[in-house]
Amino acid sequence: MIVSQVLAIIIFVVMFVLIVLDKIERHIVTLGCGLLTLLLVFGLTMHSGSAIMETLNVKSIFTPGFWYSAGEAESSSGINWSTIIFIAGMMVMVEGMARAGFFQWLCMNLAKLVHYKPVPLFITFMLISAVLSMFIDSITVILFLAAVTVELGKLLKIDPVPMILSEIFCANLGGSATMCGDPPNIIIGTSLGYSFGDFLTNTGVMAGISLVLIVFYFYFAFRKELAQESANGFVPENLPDPKSVIQNKRDFAISCVIFACAVVLLVTHAQTGLTVAFIGLVIALITLITSGRHMLLLLQRVDYKTLLFFVGLFVVVSGLEQTGILEVVAGFIGTVSNGNLKLIVAIIIWLSAIASAFIDNIPFAATMLPVIRSLAATQGIDPSTLAWALSMGTDIGGSATPIGASANVVGISVAAKNGHFIGWGKYCKYSAPATVIVVAVSMLFMFVRYC
Amino acid sequence: MEKQVIVSISREFCSGGHIIGESIAKTLGLGFCDRNILDEIAQRNNIRIEYLEKYDEKPRNLILSRRVGAFSNSIEDIISEMQFEYLRDKALNGESFVIVGRCADSVLRNYKCLIPIFVMGDEEAKIAEACRRYNISREEAINKIRRHDRTRKQYHNRYSERKWGDSRYYDMCVNSSKLGIEETATLLTEYIRQRIDKF
Repeated sequence: MIVSQVLAIIIFVVMFVLIVLDKIERHIVTLGCGLLTLLLVFGLTMHSGSAIMETLNVKSIFTPGFWYSAGEAESSSGINWSTIIFIAGMMVMVEGMARAGFFQWLCMNLAKLVHYKPVPLFITFMLISAVLSMFIDSITVILFLAAVTVELGKLLKIDPVPMILSEIFCANLGGSATMCGDPPNIIIGTSLGYSFGDFLTNTGVMAGISLVLIVFYFYFAFRKELAQESANGFVPENLPDPKSVIQNKRDFAISCVIFACAVVLLVTHAQTGLTVAFIGLVIALITLITSGRHMLLLLQRVDYKTLLFFVGLFVVVSGLEQTGILEVVAGFIGTVSNGNLKLIVAIIIWLSAIASAFIDNIPFAATMLPVIRSLAATQGIDPSTLAWALSMGTDIGGSATPIGASANVVGISVAAKNGHFIGWGKYCKYSAPATVIVVAVSMLFMFVRYC
Repeated sequence: MEKQVIVSISREFCSGGHIIGESIAKTLGLGFCDRNILDEIAQRNNIRIEYLEKYDEKPRNLILSRRVGAFSNSIEDIISEMQFEYLRDKALNGESFVIVGRCADSVLRNYKCLIPIFVMGDEEAKIAEACRRYNISREEAINKIRRHDRTRKQYHNRYSERKWGDSRYYDMCVNSSKLGIEETATLLTEYIRQRIDKF
């Protein structure tokens, strides 16, 4: 067992290092390391065919519970196919919405609604960033929001950087509020059997309270810039009509209806019993069927690399899980905290936040999930308490640095391509304190409510 | 010039590649691109030129940068991409020019009119040139050459699958110390003329 444990750790560390170095595409890294886990850890050292089968987890897809079983954990170990199918479905839906011009239309309409005034625009875009990220992945939200912000910045002669920084933060914050907002939440939710409502009434409340604080925080952080821009009050006469971004009214209407259906299905999935895998598949199929001749284009634009990244990642993490490494980690946290729930929550949330500020939060959450499961079992703690701590830590921690979350990278890149460079110093000056505030508030909230 | 021709010059530090590029451009009446393309990019995007110069032809910081699909938070990556776009536009517009560095041998590799050249030099000749150009000691010159060549290699290999200085990826690799900078430029100009005739 020692040999397999050592091998599993080596493969895991190599995978992380290669992801950070970014020399090889990350899906190739995780798939390669996943293959090594199957061959060396499960095959050569453990001689365990059952461990391989459990990790590949293919048969779970063919069980009724995979598609219809509200409130039950869909997979305990191995590749989390629910997460992968759901994310793939959402990717197809988002591509359809983007093609129809939904995001630009929404942003331009909101800007028009607040008469292009800097302060209301600043606050409205923060709020819409958070709300959209509750249902759509934050990368897409920021991709469109940052692009519109840059365009508005040019037209209104305002610096878009304060808005982009606050939008990025709110996108990550909004993502933490729901089960489908951020990949760690989907992994946590599907693995531990939590519903959309469970997330909304726990992490959602923390995210809501934090959002209020954060709107004030960013307003005060950028008050000088906002005051100056408000004083300028420049609004050109020929601003583009929001309707002009809609390429095809029929496609636009369909994408709005599909998005509304997705939101309703997700919000009610605990009541209907439909799993997120089912919802993802149905939404993808409806989007594809209604897209007509653009069907192939939508399928081509799905980010298959990210899906493959998940497949490899789950296999590598299974290597750690099956060899008992993660139980050792859980045991260590249990010993250090001496069974003190407050201390355990504090360790999980801060450890997750600090780690996610520098490394990808998806592999971190996938790795920590078996740890909290084991910790909850050995210490007799409600696993949901630790799940919310892990969720808030991984989702919010990523906001602290430019590399902590994908949305940060996309937002910074969009700004820089338009001549607005955001370096580490500038980014961390505003977003790191905001991250500390939200993590601290979430921890205190958890102490009061769960401990 | 009727036919489009693009000459990319990759070069070792203090090998005279830049001067050779300028000479070729002047003799053949071609546009010359080097660090000066940053001026246009700065003007086009309303960015301070000093900012672009600070990160020009520098490899990204491995630990402090991350890539998500086509997006990167690395300023080095973004400035490089801006330069690559500029070169692609220029080539697409049918312009003929000589470009020094900027990974052009790789960025414009699909153009049949591209003539990629690599200029190297003898170690001693490069050290002497560095001492003369920067008024520094031999030791400092050696370190400076190593540092610059390492940076150029890392920068090039970051954005290209082709390795910097690998003779398989250039139409001509030439040691400028053997004939001297002036004669090397003359030789390369003649080579380019003959290549253009065969386009």
